[in-house]
Amino acid sequence: MTLPSKWARMDWPLLLNALALCAIGLLNVYSGTRVHGVPGTALVTKQLAWILLGVAAFFAVYLLSDGFIEEAANGFFIAVLLLLVVVLLVGRVRGGAQRWIALGAFNLQPSEFAKIAVTFALAKYFSRTYRYGGVGLREVLPAIGLVLAPFLLVALQPDLGSAGVFLFILAGMAVVACVRWKVLALFGTAGAAAVPVLWFFMKEYQRQRVLTFLNPELDPLGAGYHVIQSKIAVGSGGLIGKGYLQGTQGSLRFLPEQHTDFAFAVFSEEWGFLGSFLLLILFLLLIYRLFFLTIRSQDRFASFACGGIAVFFLTHIVINMAMVCGLFPVVGIPLPFVSYGGSSMLTGMMALGAAANLSRSRFTFQGGGGKGRVIGS
Amino acid sequence: MTGRIRKREQDPDITRRSRILLYIALGVFALLIGRLYWLQVVESDRYRMLAENNRLRLRTVRAPRGLILDRKGRAIAETQGSFDLVCSPVDVKDLQAEISLLGEIVEFDVDDPEVVDKIRSAMRSNPYSSITVARDLRFEQVSVIEFNREALPGFSVLVEATRSYPYGTAFAHVLGYVGEASPEEMERSEDGSLAMGDLIGKYGLERLMDNVLRGVNGGRKVEVDAAGRDQRLVEEVPSRAGGAVYTSLDADLQVTAQDALGNRAGAVIALAPRTGEVLAFYSGPAFDPNAFARGIRKADWQALNTDPRKPMQNKGLQGTYAPGSTIKPFLAMTGLEEKMQEKEKQVLCPGSFRLGNRVFRCWREKGHGAVDMYRAIVQSCDVYFYTLGLKLGPDRVAKLEKATGLGTITGIDLPGERKGLVPTTEWKRTVTKERWYDYESVILGIGQGAVHLTPLEMAIGYATLATGGEVMRPRVVSKVIEKEGKVRTFPPEMLRKLPWNPENVDFIRKALAGVVNDYGTGGSAKLPGIVVGGKTGTAQVASVKGKMIKSEDLPYEIRDHAWFVAFAPVDDPQIVVAALVEHGGHGGSAAAPIVKSVMQEFFRTRPVGPERKGGA
Repeated sequence: MTLPSKWARMDWPLLLNALALCAIGLLNVYSGTRVHGVPGTALVTKQLAWILLGVAAFFAVYLLSDGFIEEAANGFFIAVLLLLVVVLLVGRVRGGAQRWIALGAFNLQPSEFAKIAVTFALAKYFSRTYRYGGVGLREVLPAIGLVLAPFLLVALQPDLGSAGVFLFILAGMAVVACVRWKVLALFGTAGAAAVPVLWFFMKEYQRQRVLTFLNPELDPLGAGYHVIQSKIAVGSGGLIGKGYLQGTQGSLRFLPEQHTDFAFAVFSEEWGFLGSFLLLILFLLLIYRLFFLTIRSQDRFASFACGGIAVFFLTHIVINMAMVCGLFPVVGIPLPFVSYGGSSMLTGMMALGAAANLSRSRFTFQGGGGKGRVIGS
Repeated sequence: MTGRIRKREQDPDITRRSRILLYIALGVFALLIGRLYWLQVVESDRYRMLAENNRLRLRTVRAPRGLILDRKGRAIAETQGSFDLVCSPVDVKDLQAEISLLGEIVEFDVDDPEVVDKIRSAMRSNPYSSITVARDLRFEQVSVIEFNREALPGFSVLVEATRSYPYGTAFAHVLGYVGEASPEEMERSEDGSLAMGDLIGKYGLERLMDNVLRGVNGGRKVEVDAAGRDQRLVEEVPSRAGGAVYTSLDADLQVTAQDALGNRAGAVIALAPRTGEVLAFYSGPAFDPNAFARGIRKADWQALNTDPRKPMQNKGLQGTYAPGSTIKPFLAMTGLEEKMQEKEKQVLCPGSFRLGNRVFRCWREKGHGAVDMYRAIVQSCDVYFYTLGLKLGPDRVAKLEKATGLGTITGIDLPGERKGLVPTTEWKRTVTKERWYDYESVILGIGQGAVHLTPLEMAIGYATLATGGEVMRPRVVSKVIEKEGKVRTFPPEMLRKLPWNPENVDFIRKALAGVVNDYGTGGSAKLPGIVVGGKTGTAQVASVKGKMIKSEDLPYEIRDHAWFVAFAPVDDPQIVVAALVEHGGHGGSAAAPIVKSVMQEFFRTRPVGPERKGGA
């Protein structure tokens, strides 16, 4: 496909939607990094740089030739697995967890990229095992094995939040890839049964988080503090919010991580229910667009990959917001495009770039001829 | 070929499955929106309040309490700055650790459950207000606390206004004391003007004049960060100081009265007879009101309350004592006014008086011989007054005594006044269901039996004798300046004027002058250049059968109470002084010198010359 035709088939709504979210995120980072009313500009500049890099990454992935993503999927997956091992060996310890690789001024968080790599690898696997009438147990087991490796590596950091995202992606893609309902029910039951076992493997602070999630008032100044303060920020925003830069929960440091994981708390304190509602609509449009691409893609790999990307965003958005609203335990999962953070920004943009790239295939003609993309031909 | 083509038109399942996921996504988003609606619309007021509570601290700026002044404008109760240790419960991180650290710096009782409990309960019920933990820290303590700021996030030192009494114990019973308002008192202040830790008058003038003295608290609304550090002042309402109370008291006289009574228990009251102004009012033993203002310790409070000499009791207006011989001028006056006993009539005193088979002794064993009324008063002859008491009966005596103010509430502007008892036949009938016996009239003549009076009543009674029948309401407060600036004055108030024959008044005054100046029992109250008139009294506490035993030889608790009540100058009374010494023995030796000291001090600055004579 030529560059002009790629340009002509570019999915602009997808990028504009993401850029709108980035703009909101940038404003929010500016407000969220204020300390005692004095705005902090250093992180805003960095975030702007991340957005620009993200857009570049978007186009870099978008402009990849047809079929390249599918072909490179396994290589990408193995590379990211290696990175995850490297993190465990030389990673930076911050807040008791080993999640970052220092790259000059930036810290790279390979677990973010791993989410995309897993999506592509699963899409490739499921596109091969797809069977009309449903995929059976025997075909699903290798897919689980595929996810287990990055899951364990990330869980070891320990970053149970990100590790959990792999399971959501796997489950979502299994639904899209037509794994039989019986099999899905079987694993659902097995997963529920595994919860007590998981409890046994959890670290003390993780158990504490779950317990305080169930009853934050148990320890209002300790583990329950985040949830309580976050709910106060959201709730005190009211219908129309306190106004931009008028929030107090963030700038007086009652909110922890107010520009990263709790960015949404800062946002909804200042913009209220109306602002939060509009933000949710923007996210919903993004998700809807990705599912639209899933349905409309002419190619199984593209369909599955777009579905996986949709589930990836959905998981992040829902878990992050539910956590801020006190509906989910506190886990370190950023809100796409809104939270401060480079790895998350690059991952998100690359994922959208991939979706835009893959969705080009929906314009290809039926049959094996022409410029249609036929794998294996 | 077909199997290898991964076109998916032939896979409607994928579309169906994707739609299912999309619906799940829509459902989850709806759930999130519902949750946001719940938090931000339904519950928003609650969270807004929580956010404000997070952010804002109300720091009370206590209003200084108003001054209390003596008649010469000297402060007898004032307000001074003191370094107070204040706890902000919401900022306490580890109460036990912070308290034990404080225990090393401030000598405050770390195990004192009162303080710890108070903080604990405030942490639950009212964590955003502040509590005064210790008052009046020394400068070194303040600097050590400031040095340890990081380890004491919940505590801070504030300069607070504290009550201070420059004359110490001297004015204790008049001024009373202040203390932190109790929860009940906070509830009772209907305008909600009392906050936790506010000082309120608990006793004496501090309590009576609390509305005038208490200022209006101001406040500072301060924004704090998550660490509790002040960020900026949001709002400030200045406090307004309390008003001033001017009294008729004379600090010099008060100190003299205290010194004269010394360690003994009793009361000394000085009045201006023509106006009812109280010049000095001391009750001993006293307490230190400064200790209360700084938060008295439980042990000290207990010690004050279990002391058998009752330092917390104002003996001047709450203690009642048999009047003893100080009652005699009232009987004489009754005899004269009722025209039942002429002053010239002589009574023979052989040292005792017989009624039926009872024998009543005179204090002078060998007797006074034939005495008229003047001699009987001057020598305090008991036999004369036994016969007079018997002759007059209780009801006539009571009528005159009550008219002068004895056995009545005098209406002094100090809280807690009690009245004594002047018995009548009616009283006896209703209380004991028995008739009045003649022997009771006999002992009533010398101020024994059922009769008992407060020193204040005695001072008012003698003021009435001195002025010839003008009964004035005793007054401590002369003027009040309210916090709004409004001035209220309290002019002398005459309760009644008794229609006494001036000749009789003149005679009684002369006889009382004789007690002091004519070889009478009150000789030790004699003053050079000023004619003092007064009467001694020795009130029996326990009747000792058989031989007369000297009071000094008895155990303290059953020794007689000593009275002396006097006024001066006799022809133009300017001051009445009543002194009572509990278990002091004889009035002439124990109480009269006290009265003399007070009068000496009074006249030191007020020369009594011709120019003063006749003046009021």
